[in-house]
Amino acid sequence: MGKKVLVVDDDPDVRLFNVTVLEEHGYTPLVATNGEEGKNLARQEKPDLVILDVLMPRESGIRLYRELKTDRTLKHIPVIMLSGIAEKSFLRSQKVLAEFGDKEVPEPEAYLEKPVEAEELAATIQKVLG
Amino acid sequence: MNDGPMNKLLLVDDEPDILRVLSISLKADGYDVRTAPGGEEALAIFSTERPDIVITDIKMPGMNGIEVLREVKKIDQETEVIIITGHGDIDAAIEALKYGASDFINKPVRDEALSIALKRAREKIDIKQQLKEYTVGLEHRITAATREVRRKSNFQSKLILSSNDGIVATDKDLSVVIYNPGAECIFGYAARDVIERMRLKDLFTSNITHLFMSAMDADNGAKEIPWQETMVLDCKGESIPVRFSGSVLHEKGRKMGSVAFFQDLREIKRLERELLKAERLAAVGQTVAGLSHGLKNILHGLKGGSYLVDLGIKKNDTKKLKSGWDMIKRNIGRTSELVLDLLTYCKEREPELEDCSPNGIANDVCELMLQKARENQVDIVKDFDPSIGMVSMDPRTLHSALLNLMTNAIDACLFDKETDKSWQVVLKTIREDEKSLRFDVADNGAGMSEEVKEKLFTSFFSTKGHRGTGLGLMVTRKLVEEQGGQISVTSKPDIGTTFTIRLPLRAPEQQ
Repeated sequence: MGKKVLVVDDDPDVRLFNVTVLEEHGYTPLVATNGEEGKNLARQEKPDLVILDVLMPRESGIRLYRELKTDRTLKHIPVIMLSGIAEKSFLRSQKVLAEFGDKEVPEPEAYLEKPVEAEELAATIQKVLG
Repeated sequence: MNDGPMNKLLLVDDEPDILRVLSISLKADGYDVRTAPGGEEALAIFSTERPDIVITDIKMPGMNGIEVLREVKKIDQETEVIIITGHGDIDAAIEALKYGASDFINKPVRDEALSIALKRAREKIDIKQQLKEYTVGLEHRITAATREVRRKSNFQSKLILSSNDGIVATDKDLSVVIYNPGAECIFGYAARDVIERMRLKDLFTSNITHLFMSAMDADNGAKEIPWQETMVLDCKGESIPVRFSGSVLHEKGRKMGSVAFFQDLREIKRLERELLKAERLAAVGQTVAGLSHGLKNILHGLKGGSYLVDLGIKKNDTKKLKSGWDMIKRNIGRTSELVLDLLTYCKEREPELEDCSPNGIANDVCELMLQKARENQVDIVKDFDPSIGMVSMDPRTLHSALLNLMTNAIDACLFDKETDKSWQVVLKTIREDEKSLRFDVADNGAGMSEEVKEKLFTSFFSTKGHRGTGLGLMVTRKLVEEQGGQISVTSKPDIGTTFTIRLPLRAPEQQ
C-alpha cells in the first residue's frame, strides 16, 4: 500500500486526473468533492498528503486549508494547493484573513497553478512527501 | 300706527274735497303726502318725487287710474299702487290687478280700510327692501366666492396642465374627466379622444385598473395606491415604463372619483440601459481576469484528458482511453459554452419577433432538462396557463432565458446541503393580463444569502465552482431586458429561490 493522498476538488475532471497520476506513481488516492467531505475524510483517514483546490462551492478550499492547518491532529499533514487562482492571490487572501484577527497559518508546502502537467504534479508530490 | 321711517306717498283724485280730507288724515298718520288732481300731474310729480306708495282714484277725466298704474309701474316696478274703486266695480279691479296693483279700497274711503291697505303696502315695501338688501349681499358673496373658486381652479388647472407627471382623473364611474399633457406624452392619445370618451379600463393595463376598482370598492380599505413601478401601454401598444400612484377622491365621505399620477421612466430607463452597457463593458474587463480561472480549469481538463489518452494508448487500456477522450470532449463543450455566453453578452442584439407559443417553448425547455433533473433526483413540475396561446415574441430569448433559469434551479437543488428533501423545480407560465406574460421558475433547493442575491445580475460571479462561467444570469437579464421585460428574484437560504420573468404580451401577427 502506497502513501495515502487525499484529493479535494469539485471538478470531476481534476479528480480523475489527480487520481490517475497518483495511481500511476503508486500512491493510494482518497477522493472528496467538497470542503466538508474533505475535512471529515482527513480526520478519519489521516492521509500523508492533501491536494486541495482553492475555489469550491459550499466550503471553499481556503477555509478547509485554514482548518487543516489549525487542527492539532492534522496540521502536520503537508498540503499541495492546486488551483486556477494565482499563487500570489491566494497568499494575499491568507494575509488579509490574518490581519482581520484570524490565526496566522503557514504557507502551503507547495502551490501549483492549473493547468499542470502530470510530470510536474508527480514531481511535486514526490518532493513534498520526501 | 306708523312707527317705521316716514314714507313718501302720492295721492291722486279729481275731486279736490276727497284729496284734501284724505291728505289731512294721512299726514296725521305720519306720511309725507303729495297730491295730484289728475293722471298727467300725478306722473309729473312721481317722476321727480319718487314716492314709495301711490293711491289713485280709478275714474278720472283724461288719464284714468289704470293708466296711472301702468305708467308708474313702467317707471318703477317696485312702487306700491293702491286703487280706489267705485262700489262693485269688479271689472276695473281685475284689470288693475293684471297691471300689478297692490290693493283696492272701495269708495267711500274709510280711514280704517285705508290704514290697513297702507300697512300692507308698507309691509310689502319693507320685505322687498330686506329681500333686496339680502340679494345684493348674496350677489356680493357669490361674486367673491366664484372669484375665489375660479382663482383656485385656474391655479389647479395650470398646475395640472404644466405638471410633468401624467395626471388622469375619473368620475365615480371611472370615466376619464382630466387627462393632462403629461398624460398625453405617456399614453400617446390626444386629450380630446380621451376626456369623457374613454373609461379607465380603456386607458390603463388591467392590473392598474384592478387596483383602482378595488380601491373604489373598499369601504375601509386602501384608498391610496402607493407609488410603484409598472408598465403602461401607449396608443401604439408600446410598453412604457412608469412610476405610478393613485387615490380615490372623497367629498364628505362620498366617493367622487379617482386620480392617477404617472411619471415617465423612459429617460431614466434609457440612462439605466446606458449605465448597464457601461457596466457590462466593465464587467467584461473584470471577466477577463475572472475568466482566466475558468480557462485555466478548462485547459487543465484538456491536459488531464490528453494525459489519460496517452496513458491509455501506452498501456493499451481502453477504459483510460475512453475516460480521457470524454474529459477532452467535456472541456471542448465548456469552452464553447463560455465563448458563446461571452459573445451573447457583449453583442447588442435587436429582438427578432415571430409568432410562437410560450407554453410550447417552456415545455421544450422542461424536456431538455428532464434527464439532468432525473439524474439528480429533482422533479420537474409544469404548471402552464392554458389561456396563453400564440404570441409575438423572440422565441430564442425565452428559450435561452428559461433554460438558464431551469439549469440554475436544478443546480440549486444539487448544492442543497439537506439530503432528505424531495427536490422540485416548478416552471409556471401565467398570463398576468392582456399586456404581460409571466414565467416563474421556483426551486426548493439551497436558496441564496442576501450577499449572493445582490451580486446575481451585476458582476461576474458564480457560486458553482468549476461549473459556472458567471455569465448565465447576466446574459439572461440582458436578453429579457432587450425584449422590454423584467427579471426579478426572491430567495431564502435553505428554503429555495424563485426567479420571475415578465415579458410584454403582444398579439400574434397572423390571427
